Amino acid sequence: MTENAPRTLAAPVVFGLTLALGVVTTVVLDLALLWWAALLIGVGLAFVLVAATAARTRDGSSLGATGAQEEGTPLHKVLVAPMTLVLALVTGLATAWILDLQLIAEVAVPLGALIGAGLAFVLFHRLSAMLALSFAAVLAAGVLAVGVTGAVLQLSGIAPMETFGRMLEFGSRPDSMVQIINTSTTYYLAAVAVAIGFKMGLFNIGVDGQYRLAALLAASVGGYLMLPPVISQIVIIATAVAVGGVWAGIAGYLKVARGVSEVISTIMLNSIATGITAYLLSTDRLAVELSTNNIGTPPMPESSWVPGIPAGFLGSDNEIWGMIVLAAVVGFMYWAMLNRTRFGFELRATGQSKTAAEASGVDVKKMVFLSMLFSGMIAGLVGLPQLLGHSHQYALDFPAGIGFIGIAIALLGRNHPVGIVFAALLWSFLDQSAGILPFDDTPQEIAVIAQATIVLTVVVVYEVVHRWGRGYQQQQIGKQLGRTVESSGEAK
Amino acid sequence: MSSTPPGGGADAPPAVELRGITKRFPGVVANHDIDITVAPGTVHAVVGENGAGKSTLMKTLYGMHRPDEGEILVRNEPVHFSNPSDAIKQGIGMVHQHFMLADNLTVLENVVLGAERRHGIGRRARARILALSAQYGLGIRPDRLMEELGVGDRQRVEILKVLYRGAETIILDEPTAVLVPQEVDELFDNLRELKREGLTVIFISHKLDEVLSVADEITVIRRGTTVDTVDPAHTSARELATLMVGGELPVPELRESTVTDHVVLSLQGVTVLSPEGRPVVDDVSVDVHRGEIVGVAGVEGNGQSELIEAVMGMQTLSTGRILLEGADITEWSTLRIREAGVGYIPEDRQRHGMLLESPLWENRILGHQTRAPSVRGPWLDRSGARADSERIVTEYDVRTPGIDVVADALSGGNQQKFIIGREMSGEPRFLVAAHPTRGVDVGAQSAIWEQLREARAAGLAVLLISADLDELIGMSDALHVILRGRLVAEADPTGLTPEQLGSAMTGAGLDNAEATEGDPRADRTRGAEGEDGA
Repeated sequence: MTENAPRTLAAPVVFGLTLALGVVTTVVLDLALLWWAALLIGVGLAFVLVAATAARTRDGSSLGATGAQEEGTPLHKVLVAPMTLVLALVTGLATAWILDLQLIAEVAVPLGALIGAGLAFVLFHRLSAMLALSFAAVLAAGVLAVGVTGAVLQLSGIAPMETFGRMLEFGSRPDSMVQIINTSTTYYLAAVAVAIGFKMGLFNIGVDGQYRLAALLAASVGGYLMLPPVISQIVIIATAVAVGGVWAGIAGYLKVARGVSEVISTIMLNSIATGITAYLLSTDRLAVELSTNNIGTPPMPESSWVPGIPAGFLGSDNEIWGMIVLAAVVGFMYWAMLNRTRFGFELRATGQSKTAAEASGVDVKKMVFLSMLFSGMIAGLVGLPQLLGHSHQYALDFPAGIGFIGIAIALLGRNHPVGIVFAALLWSFLDQSAGILPFDDTPQEIAVIAQATIVLTVVVVYEVVHRWGRGYQQQQIGKQLGRTVESSGEAK
Repeated sequence: MSSTPPGGGADAPPAVELRGITKRFPGVVANHDIDITVAPGTVHAVVGENGAGKSTLMKTLYGMHRPDEGEILVRNEPVHFSNPSDAIKQGIGMVHQHFMLADNLTVLENVVLGAERRHGIGRRARARILALSAQYGLGIRPDRLMEELGVGDRQRVEILKVLYRGAETIILDEPTAVLVPQEVDELFDNLRELKREGLTVIFISHKLDEVLSVADEITVIRRGTTVDTVDPAHTSARELATLMVGGELPVPELRESTVTDHVVLSLQGVTVLSPEGRPVVDDVSVDVHRGEIVGVAGVEGNGQSELIEAVMGMQTLSTGRILLEGADITEWSTLRIREAGVGYIPEDRQRHGMLLESPLWENRILGHQTRAPSVRGPWLDRSGARADSERIVTEYDVRTPGIDVVADALSGGNQQKFIIGREMSGEPRFLVAAHPTRGVDVGAQSAIWEQLREARAAGLAVLLISADLDELIGMSDALHVILRGRLVAEADPTGLTPEQLGSAMTGAGLDNAEATEGDPRADRTRGAEGEDGA
């Protein structure tokens, strides 16, 4: 390798070398070893190359998000470098494994190595200490949660490793994966709805009632009104958004006009929504009899459905709900709203400091009302993937309680549009993979314990790590500016 | 004026000794190299300006946070406090400026609350309270309901609470701030009683006349460190003031007058009512001209905050009008007022001026979220905001590694410089500057004054609120004194001394300022009346 050159190296050169080293090593070792072992070694070597040349890599962007020179600081050494290695390895493996379902292994594995090696370079130079800290916190929380769940299993006299193995195996079957993706679509929407409130310092517990009411009325519109395709879907979605928005808007209005805590009012509105849905879902009103013990809104005509996406690439005959596209759009809009618009800025400002927002001319009451409204509008969408992609009607067995799961997932994903994706996937993975446990006489509640522990540990560990990280950052900046005792010249 | 000599005698070990105490907070050094020796059986006063670090120091002594350097000795034994109960175990108690009492409980219940283990909650506790009350002449009746008691009585209950927990050294944090004159005298009698019984009192204050009348020894703190310890018998208020402020500090002053005839902001009979319907700003009328800095002096809590908030549209006026260059802005929202060219340096920058957890460049947008260069229509203009943040950092000498740093990581002075840079951008016509140099280091202070002078020369009209009398006198073209929400006096800052202004602030009026100087008690009496209304 050329890293012995005394001069500095241009970043693209090192990047190219890293990629080449990762891929070539993997391909060569793949002949002798298992594919994953080869990939791990390949990416690992690429990482070593990046680390070894780091000091001599000319890269103008090695400032962390704090603006402080981070490379070479102890925090970078103990945190960013290991996190980079872990992330590069995991991403490489995951990419190769997913691509393997589609392509032949000879192509998938080198591609995985390519991604892993590339990530090793990029993250090593770009990952800020604070972000690495977040990853480390999540990782630590995950390990802790697995430990606790394992201990519970052990105490119940069930072999933990074996159970985890079974869950992993079942959860990664093609049909399971499709199911996981579909469930997480629903979860994602619920979590984004909650997250909008959280960002603003509002706790919308009422997502549950909002989406159930919205789904019922949207299903009725779809079942009773015969509209041409496309228009039908648009009307159904608009109905759901409007109903969800109105229902949450009531809580928003009460908060703004009467100072009623949104926690109380949304809980109450949940109960009222339950009552209203029970009232409307009767054969005298919106429902028709579907079977001897089930009633529901009339099934929608096929022209109102949203077609699924064939999941052949995952090796499954089932379909991924088409509404996943809507979830992705919502996620993107959430991100763009938060980070790119004036409204999002005002929302974050109000969430961070109400007093500062007020002094800056932000109309806090308006923000409270609007964010509650938007939260409810997104909440209205929660039932639609199920409604338009699968059940096509609102019956007694329509899933309930997703609003509460959304709260947990929003917490787990730190209200971040991408974080919530992973949180939703993890949650529905646990949901789905626990389905195998009854066959082994293992209580299915293990998954619930795992979910609860993960939320708790992530929230606690993240908070602790975050606080420590901020203190550390302030110290670093203090040191860098050489501002120790500015006023000491004053002392006599 | 100093009363009884130290009761402990010269040989007794000091009740409390602080050696080389240093306490840093992110970005600032609140205390450094503090050395104080408190003799037992004395009243030891710690004086300093607002923000000099007195409270930080006392929190250190009371175990509310740990010092970064230095040691605390109690009767020559080094101690380490990790929380207030450790301090109480060593016989150190604290009476906070804001009482911590439950209104719906009786005196007895309030005293035993949290100290139930000492003497139970029944007859023994009552006996103990009565004994303590008699011993120290506190005159406390244990069965009265707290809500029936006046401020002075409440304070005595707080003192009793501390004594009940076995304290031998009592820290009183600004105890006279809430009292009326008679109560102050009673408090001082109580303190002398405590001293006679062998207890030690550490008395925090910035009111020099009070300190001179009650203390046996006075330690002066300036900018976070101890400057000197003096004997009140051989010190005058003037000498103390010099020690507190320090001779070598930068002097705020204006050069030639730039005042014009053009009225920028006109307050006409502005009245703001408190939620209880009491006027907190009472019929205030002021004109601020182009190129003029109008200072408002007053003891804190006399309506300054409400006045500023009224100008900024954050308080509803009950009567009166506010005109900005002829336009009636009384009913305008804060946003509209800001858009019309009013800059705002808030009195509490961390609560009102900054998003501490957001990077600097996002803080550039705050308050300017509807204007270029931060936004374009409904979208944030990130590159515009970033570029302008860089400009502020350079022009206003904000010491920071970059604009991506979270605001929290900067020192108070640099946060303030950034805020001033932000509020000066967009060519404001009028600036509300509340305590622009509070908690700011010396270098930043003179920089901020220079920026205010330049803006004034460029035609900016400024309403300046400050607790720093030198700053008010030096930086104002016209000075008003606010007392209980009313403007009670107007003064020409040229030739005015801080002492004269100080006495005017307490309601003594400007004319007899010379007279009251020799009789500090007189003006304090009226001053406390003023605070009573706050």
